[in-house]
Amino acid sequence: MNAATASILAPLCLAVPLMGAALLAPFGKHLPRGLSSTVAACVSVAVFGMAVALALYTYHTGMVVHWMGGWLPKHALAIGISFSIDPMGAGLAAFIALLVFAAVLYTWIAFDFVGTLFHSLLLAFLGAMCGYALTGDIFNMFVWFELMTAAAIALTAHKIEEAESIEGAINLAVTNTIAGFIVLLGIGLLYARTDALNLAQLGEIVAQRPADALVLASFGLIVAGYFVKGAVAPFHFWLDDAHAVAPTPICILFSGIMVQVALYGVARIYWTVYSGALSPQAHEIKALFVGVGIATALIGATMAYAQRHLKRLLAFSTVSHSGMFVAAIGLFGAAGAAGAALFVLAHGLIKSSLFVCAGNYLNRFRSLDEELLGGKGRSTPLNSALFLLGGVALAGMPPFAISAAKVLYDAAMKDRALFAVAIVMAFASAIDAGAVLRAGIHVTFGIGKAQITGFSPREEEPECDGPRLERTPWTMLAAPVMLLAPAIWLGTSAAFRHGVERAAHAFVDRQYYVAAVLHNVHRAVPATPAAPRTTEDLAINLSVTAAALLAAFAGLFRDHIPQMVSPVLGPPLKQLRGLHSGIFTDYVAYMMFGIAAYTVYLVVAAR
Amino acid sequence: MSGWTLYFPYAVAFWLFVIGCFGITQSRNLIHTVLCLTVVQSSTYMLLLSVDFHAKAGAPIFGSTNPPGSASVDPILHALTLTDIVVGATVTALMLALTIQIHRRRGTIDPQRLRPMSE
Repeated sequence: MNAATASILAPLCLAVPLMGAALLAPFGKHLPRGLSSTVAACVSVAVFGMAVALALYTYHTGMVVHWMGGWLPKHALAIGISFSIDPMGAGLAAFIALLVFAAVLYTWIAFDFVGTLFHSLLLAFLGAMCGYALTGDIFNMFVWFELMTAAAIALTAHKIEEAESIEGAINLAVTNTIAGFIVLLGIGLLYARTDALNLAQLGEIVAQRPADALVLASFGLIVAGYFVKGAVAPFHFWLDDAHAVAPTPICILFSGIMVQVALYGVARIYWTVYSGALSPQAHEIKALFVGVGIATALIGATMAYAQRHLKRLLAFSTVSHSGMFVAAIGLFGAAGAAGAALFVLAHGLIKSSLFVCAGNYLNRFRSLDEELLGGKGRSTPLNSALFLLGGVALAGMPPFAISAAKVLYDAAMKDRALFAVAIVMAFASAIDAGAVLRAGIHVTFGIGKAQITGFSPREEEPECDGPRLERTPWTMLAAPVMLLAPAIWLGTSAAFRHGVERAAHAFVDRQYYVAAVLHNVHRAVPATPAAPRTTEDLAINLSVTAAALLAAFAGLFRDHIPQMVSPVLGPPLKQLRGLHSGIFTDYVAYMMFGIAAYTVYLVVAAR
Repeated sequence: MSGWTLYFPYAVAFWLFVIGCFGITQSRNLIHTVLCLTVVQSSTYMLLLSVDFHAKAGAPIFGSTNPPGSASVDPILHALTLTDIVVGATVTALMLALTIQIHRRRGTIDPQRLRPMSE
């Protein structure tokens, strides 16, 4: 592939899905489901292929910069809008396309609500996320993210006859729309200082002098806005409502990548725009990211453990992982970025396969309630086995072997102060995976006592047509297999791991980005020595898995063990659960508090 | 315009944002919520346009009275504001559609009475 072909692939990555969406939409219900499924599958495979080709090309040859409409920079001054593609962005686009394909495959047979409009929305969602991952313009990022949010609202409420779905969609809509405006306010402040929107250009101008209150405030607003979309405390409340009621194929995309995409935005903007000017404040910003990361991880894990509704449990587990990603990004180094990237991929695959398995229970047994499902999983052995496998994979058991504990342990090797953080994250991972395993074991074998706290409608309408599914169709089991298989590869392939490490070094190098975008100097990602894998990694991952199993069995047989935890943790947990009121009016109040706290911290403490 | 009047539009933007969000927290009607969202959004218009403002500069349309090269305000911010309006309109339309649907299902549009997923 040469540079011209690569430059053409860049806009095609979003033109193809958006055209697909536009072509499908007018046909409404007139197109047979098989045909629209085929179109959606073909488009997602095409985008996957193009994004992988771009990732490989940019890895070996250098960044691809496509200036829309041919508006090239003059004298290193960006005039037009660029798509600035590096292996990280292209890899993210490929991963999104893979998950969209999994969602299409999962719904190929038997989903009555899935039709042309569903596929049209799905492709618009795919196009928006690809645009977001590939663009090199900060305002463009905002627009793509808003398109993604609009598609997400419509997809959450896709089962329009179910009031719960609409309520979840409204919570998502109100919180995420305000978040979009917060990001835009941040962009406006940044533009007031720089008169630029291109990420590389912004970085050059911002780095010219030390950060003042205006630059810090814009950073605070952009970070707070993306943290709402990334479900970081205290902004995570919308997520568990929306993910618990969204259709299962949509959960694949929501928990698998949409939340993480927002955090990618934070990392991308930090490294390209702010890393030059904010280096004197690096310590305070690191403290902020690691601090909120820990808080989010612990809140998410605790809430996940206190849930009886499988999808809601998994949604809180996603919140907890969001915290781990933020902490990994907040280490502000190539190792943290590489760890976060690998971790996002592994988590996305594993979590979406767990959602799919939960969806299979819903369609078989008309319930997602841990207690009600107790023991029924025995009659669907393959699905239950996949659910349990997902549970141990989430804890990082080899060969999956990618966990928060591992990422932060590596960082702690360089910085002793982070050792405590690694321990806390290992604890959160264990509780979090323990909750999934507890539910899985109870549903499969019916042993022990189910969790009885948390919101659950008990009986629910299944998503498939027909009175009752006697057998789970093969496509609904192929999807989790298709998702878990690459997760094993991720955990075992040393070459891929090293590739991501090299790509991360380029990702965190502002000069590398600026040279490619503004000066047309393209270099392959720099060679770096591979981080050695030690037996310690294996020990960490195995011990977290063991701790998760311990947490699972402690929950199941809590009547047989001395009550030491509940008298101490009971009252605060009740308070915490009370905060998750399900009403967006409360969530917006927490958001106000959070935005004020973030921005004031950055402007006052970090100055 | 000079002195405090230069900063006044920013204060208005801040006020619109805060009062809009406050309105949402107090909302007892989803249509009221949607309108509060547009108030919040107005703060972004206000900010973008006041970043752009320059007392001596005209609109970026060049002709005989202001030949090319004469002072004009920055059209990019107008483009951003327009895009922002489009984004807002999409969300408003979606939210109102959801409101109609929730009224059909639940018979109320008071968020305090919807309490979907209370723990």
